[in-house]
Amino acid sequence: MANVELRNLTKVWDQVTAVDGINLEIRDGEFLAVLGPSGCGKSTTLFMLAGVYLPSGGDILFDGARVNDVEARSRNVGIVFQSYALYPNMNVLQNIMFPLRFQETRDAAAQAREMAELVQVGELLERRPSQLSGGQQQRVALARALVKQPNLLLLDEPLSNLDATLRLTMRAEIRRITRELAVTTILVTHDQLEATTMADRVVCMNVGRIEQTGTAEDLYLRPDTLFVAGFIGSPPINLIRLQASQRAVLDVPDTAETVGIRPELLHSAETGLPVTVTTVEPMGRETLVTADSDLGPLRFLEATSRPKWSAGDKLHVSFRSQDTIVFDGAGQRMSDLHAAIG
Amino acid sequence: MRSSTFRTGTNMLVFLGPASFFLVCLLLAPIFVDLVVAFTDMAQTIRINEFTTKQFSKLVRASEDAWLGFELRSSFYRALSLSAVYIFFTLAIFNLTFGLILALTTTALPDWLGGVYRAIWLLPRMSPSVVYALMWIWVVDPTERGLLNQVIGVLGFSPINMKLDAPIVLIVTANGFIGASIGMLILTSSIRSIPEHLFFAARADGAGSLSIVRHIVLPALRWPLSYITVFQFLALLVSFEYIFLIMGPARSTMTMAMLAYTKTLAPDIGAGQYAYGAAITLILIVIGVFVALVLYRLANMTRLLMSPRIEVQ
Repeated sequence: MANVELRNLTKVWDQVTAVDGINLEIRDGEFLAVLGPSGCGKSTTLFMLAGVYLPSGGDILFDGARVNDVEARSRNVGIVFQSYALYPNMNVLQNIMFPLRFQETRDAAAQAREMAELVQVGELLERRPSQLSGGQQQRVALARALVKQPNLLLLDEPLSNLDATLRLTMRAEIRRITRELAVTTILVTHDQLEATTMADRVVCMNVGRIEQTGTAEDLYLRPDTLFVAGFIGSPPINLIRLQASQRAVLDVPDTAETVGIRPELLHSAETGLPVTVTTVEPMGRETLVTADSDLGPLRFLEATSRPKWSAGDKLHVSFRSQDTIVFDGAGQRMSDLHAAIG
Repeated sequence: MRSSTFRTGTNMLVFLGPASFFLVCLLLAPIFVDLVVAFTDMAQTIRINEFTTKQFSKLVRASEDAWLGFELRSSFYRALSLSAVYIFFTLAIFNLTFGLILALTTTALPDWLGGVYRAIWLLPRMSPSVVYALMWIWVVDPTERGLLNQVIGVLGFSPINMKLDAPIVLIVTANGFIGASIGMLILTSSIRSIPEHLFFAARADGAGSLSIVRHIVLPALRWPLSYITVFQFLALLVSFEYIFLIMGPARSTMTMAMLAYTKTLAPDIGAGQYAYGAAITLILIVIGVFVALVLYRLANMTRLLMSPRIEVQ
């Protein structure tokens, strides 16, 4: 297990900067999620940590020791790929034992069997990867990554190939196993639900830079930037660009440029902002309503499976001032400032 | 219903017709003609006077001591042995091993450099056969003008005459350098189709370059290597072009294919024995079919042809 530190880490591909000077510290035993859209540099960061890519600049430190020039095979890092990358010519046991070939291990087979039991594939040891389901392959990949007791476990979108039900199970399984082994873990994902449910801390990246680091609650309720506010949350936050007409309705500071309000924090009321319902989308436990208003189109969630409104209905919506998030012209959150209906 | 059947029939004719025509006219018909001619007395002209097995008796003779009741005549035995040696070494050293080494090294190089290197290796295949053969004739020229002798002369050795002293080495090498490029191309493409993540995973698991070749690359190349073995075996079995251009009708390199050619079509060196050549060719066909079936079975090629074997998951 290790403390991991990234100092001004940069990766440039020809003319394109994939990772742009990021700084980050991951504590021993911590489960950190790196979240961001495709192409934001999260996988590149992961592969630099694994030693697959060489950094163009900056430092990677494991327990204070610089490992930039240490080969992948000498870093003692376990990695689970999106495709699982199981060796097709080997059976499950051979796959799990593979990393132990390159270590001085007394009883590799016993260790591999023990790890297989931990991830619950003990019955499948003789099977080839092509004979396994997605979930089973994922467990084998996890066992292979963990069998050598790595300093650092890297998970590259490990759940994205699983169906929704299995994903739910595997989220809990991975969390259980990493807690049990107390291994420092970095999960790379574009799925905010994965990141927020599994990780102790979430790093949100965009265009090669870290936008915000914090708990899932920090990122959801107190996004530092417009990007984080827009990226986190489903259905997405209402972002109201403040033109003269919006300023006439809202009471906001002059320096504010955008106001954000989460759909579940808007609700229908006797008084407030008049709106006209345009679409109603039942989402099972909740109903998503989209309505036109003087602030522009607004989405709000109602905690009911039976929609109360239909297209064309006129009603009022309201929100608490402290639930609004205000951003300046540079897209940065203006702390302690809020908006209210004027 | 009738319209549907008619349409199926016309579709078959349109799509399979040209291939079937090609198959029958250019592959099956010649085998049939060869089969018939091998059992005749055709010589010098295409007239047939009688049907006979005497062409085969030129290749074998009855022997009570022999296990099968006959033994091979020396010229035929020699041609068979030379073919076996020529095919085995060309296939093993060049088409497979050297092709694999070229594929491994060129895929390890940066893309542009690997591409240039592979293109250079393809040059002999792109050159006319005569040019390639002339180059080899110059290389192994027994006088001091020969490239090989110039090189070994610089190293302090006496000139050698490869055509006389090591004719099999010469034809294996000359054919091998051309044959390796096919193996190189197929194996390069196969190596490139191995998912990149497998290499990353192996590196992270602690594997070095040689371990990656052994545990990741070679198992993935099983099917392409099987294909190259079968395909190149058949190609080598019937190839005589470079042997003839470099060595001429020399007894030292008279393989089965060369023997068939010299006995039938090669001008001024005893050609015109059509039935005899056809008998030799018929034996070549039987050997080719038999060995191809054995290799097909050993390499489990049925699985290769059923579904893509390069894909991993």
